[in-house]
Amino acid sequence: MIIDSTRFGEVEVADDAVLTFPDGMIGLPGARYVLLAASPESPFYWLHSAEHPGIAVPVTSPWLFFADYEVRVPDEDARRLELADPGDADIFVVVRATERLEEFTVNLAGPVIVHAGARLGRQIINDTRGYAARHPLFSEVELNDVQASSPRVPVAAEAF
Amino acid sequence: MLVITRKSGERICLGDEITITVLDIVGSSVRLGIEAPAEVPVYRHEIWAAVKAENQAAAETGTGDLPKSS
Repeated sequence: MIIDSTRFGEVEVADDAVLTFPDGMIGLPGARYVLLAASPESPFYWLHSAEHPGIAVPVTSPWLFFADYEVRVPDEDARRLELADPGDADIFVVVRATERLEEFTVNLAGPVIVHAGARLGRQIINDTRGYAARHPLFSEVELNDVQASSPRVPVAAEAF
Repeated sequence: MLVITRKSGERICLGDEITITVLDIVGSSVRLGIEAPAEVPVYRHEIWAAVKAENQAAAETGTGDLPKSS
């Protein structure tokens, strides 16, 4: 299918890469999203609305930046994601970019859980360990030391 | 908006399935017990509001704001 994007124009995405977020992303419109690669070798992806051309947030894997990050997925959230095995979850955190790289922050309190096998996603409130919604992204590692990784979630398209 | 006064040990019902009990009042803090069906998410408002604010701020990110590669 083709999605319209104010950032990237028309982007052709694989139909089976469209993820349904039955309850949406907290505070954002729409219930269907795709993951777009931000650029080659980049640890960042865009979680882009398949319905609203202007809605997209940068995301990354928390463990690239925080080796001991923990997430507790409440049973009810796991049920809604049809997630029987925690190993089937792909977990992303939303990045807030600023003009200066060292001031980037990341939302460790509201991770996005994706069950690729069921093409379902859900943003949860992670209340373990008092994580902040606006935590400095580069507080433990520098960008040069971050290894790009490929999520198991199908990347719908490249955004570059 | 409804404004009511409750004493320690008293309850509020929201419909048939949600009950909020005032467990304890100490100084300016109130301890609440919340009984709700599993499918009703219950969050501290400030956490939910913070996540919402971060999503909305992140949605303002432009394509040039992310580093091209590591």
